[in-house]
Amino acid sequence: MNNITGRVWKFEDNINTDLMYPQICYTLPENDKPFYAMHANRPGWARMVNKGDIIAAGKNFGTGSSRPAADNLKNLGIACVLAESINGLFMRNSVNSGLISLEVPGITGMADEGDTLRINFNGNYIENISNGKIVKFRPLPEFLMEIIDAGGIINILKNKGLLGEPL
Amino acid sequence: MNIIEKILKSHSVDNLKSVSPGDIVTVSVDRAIIVDMAALHPEFVNNPPIKPFDPDKIAIIFDHFVPPPNIEIANRVNKLRKLAKIWGLKDFYDVGRGGISHVFSGESGWILPGSIIANTDSHTVATGAFNAIGRGLGTPEMMGIIATGKTWFIAGETVNVRFINGLKKGASAKDVFFKMAEIIGDIPNMNIEFSGTGIKTLNMDERSSISTMCAELSAEFAVFPFDDILKEYLEGIGIKNYNPVYPDNDAEYYKTYEIDLDNVEPMVALPDKIINNVRPVTELGKVEINLAVVGSCANGRLSDLRDVSEVLKNKKINKNVRLIVTPASMKVYEEAIRLGYIDNIIKAGGMVTNPTCGACLGGHMGVSSDGDVVISSTTRNFKGRMGSPKSRIYLGSARTVALSAVNGYITGDENE
Repeated sequence: MNNITGRVWKFEDNINTDLMYPQICYTLPENDKPFYAMHANRPGWARMVNKGDIIAAGKNFGTGSSRPAADNLKNLGIACVLAESINGLFMRNSVNSGLISLEVPGITGMADEGDTLRINFNGNYIENISNGKIVKFRPLPEFLMEIIDAGGIINILKNKGLLGEPL
Repeated sequence: MNIIEKILKSHSVDNLKSVSPGDIVTVSVDRAIIVDMAALHPEFVNNPPIKPFDPDKIAIIFDHFVPPPNIEIANRVNKLRKLAKIWGLKDFYDVGRGGISHVFSGESGWILPGSIIANTDSHTVATGAFNAIGRGLGTPEMMGIIATGKTWFIAGETVNVRFINGLKKGASAKDVFFKMAEIIGDIPNMNIEFSGTGIKTLNMDERSSISTMCAELSAEFAVFPFDDILKEYLEGIGIKNYNPVYPDNDAEYYKTYEIDLDNVEPMVALPDKIINNVRPVTELGKVEINLAVVGSCANGRLSDLRDVSEVLKNKKINKNVRLIVTPASMKVYEEAIRLGYIDNIIKAGGMVTNPTCGACLGGHMGVSSDGDVVISSTTRNFKGRMGSPKSRIYLGSARTVALSAVNGYITGDENE
């Protein structure tokens, strides 16, 4: 995985899937869905996100539903989610859609909104370029990084010839 | 090993000798359940798995949008009807045939003690009531499971929640969960195992309600021990062959919490989140409501409808309140009719819908409007969850919802 450098958006504890992917998204055209991310808690935010931006959040990020919340963040342009702790289902969905999410204890204290972070996957640390602070993280298991590197589980299943024709 | 570690070990495709926290375990899955929402994931209907690992271990259940509320969804779920035929599934449950997947799969005898269940819905932790482990999974991951019959878990630490004594009249399993939320908080990547003499005072509906709601603590699994109540339940639906799992004497737990059920009182979760946001109803002040909802995998079960019926019998709901009651399965619905519960609810002015997840996810059958103040026995109070982000959702037990519907404000007191 190449290093990721991006601008930070800060979020609080307990950001849930329904905020990232509200119910109405289910039947919207694919291209419109990402713009409803965080509509209920932070209207207008989705339109301000640039490709390559990073989310730095508090604990229990992604609590909630099995809906494709991680896809919505990825399709909006988010390059990486960093949080104090992450709900297990969100983590699985994130990996399976090819979006890297990392549990990074201490992340909320080392980055302010608008700071630039560099995530170093060789050294397993995050450097805040804006203030010089550094925090280490525990890397994801290798088999999960392989899914992310493949661009998500669908690509892997397709390459193995396990998926068929449209219904 | 504890119960969860033993179930992971018994399903390990690498024949692991033991499992402890941090271990990555690839497991075979005993049953995979797909709900109608999968039809709304383009990758699933555009590129479904060609060949299921075992059609007899796969079920498709329509539950979230039953019956479909619009043309788009009606057309999309048609594709799952087609898929059920292509895959040759015997377990396909269409409109009017099943119910909410977590409730229906229990009634159908699919959740055997010691088994592993994969389901595309996030409340699959509900399976814990049956001494089994199950996980909600995203649709892309489920596509892999359908093709291979396998998935993975990273074994987490497990907390032990010990129940003693029994619930007082007026308190319910949902209130026990709120108490857990208060003292345990969120525990991503960790598990819960229940123990203690208080368990024998909880029926299967009540255990299921507690297990289901543990999704809201971000728990991976929330498992009850095997006992006579579960054994008798399974016997009642004709299930005799299974392998219950007991914790070893030296099973390790990260922490133990004790809850005296006798001290549990009616509680509510305030709007927007459950973690750090629950209160005893008596400390709430007067919160007037205009929408009251009973339903969902957590609390649309027969015991919940019984509680609602008891409260509403020979009463009328408050003129400012709309009460919507959604039985969790066709079987619950049928039993509730037979026992007179539905009659009591309708006569009180409540509306009873067909079984569906419905209002819980803001899909249909009770969508909240701007300014609505909602008291609901459903699973989640996230902003916008049940409809408008400008509505406010309080969560409570089915009994609290019914009492509040009668009084016009949130109350858990029978005598008001």
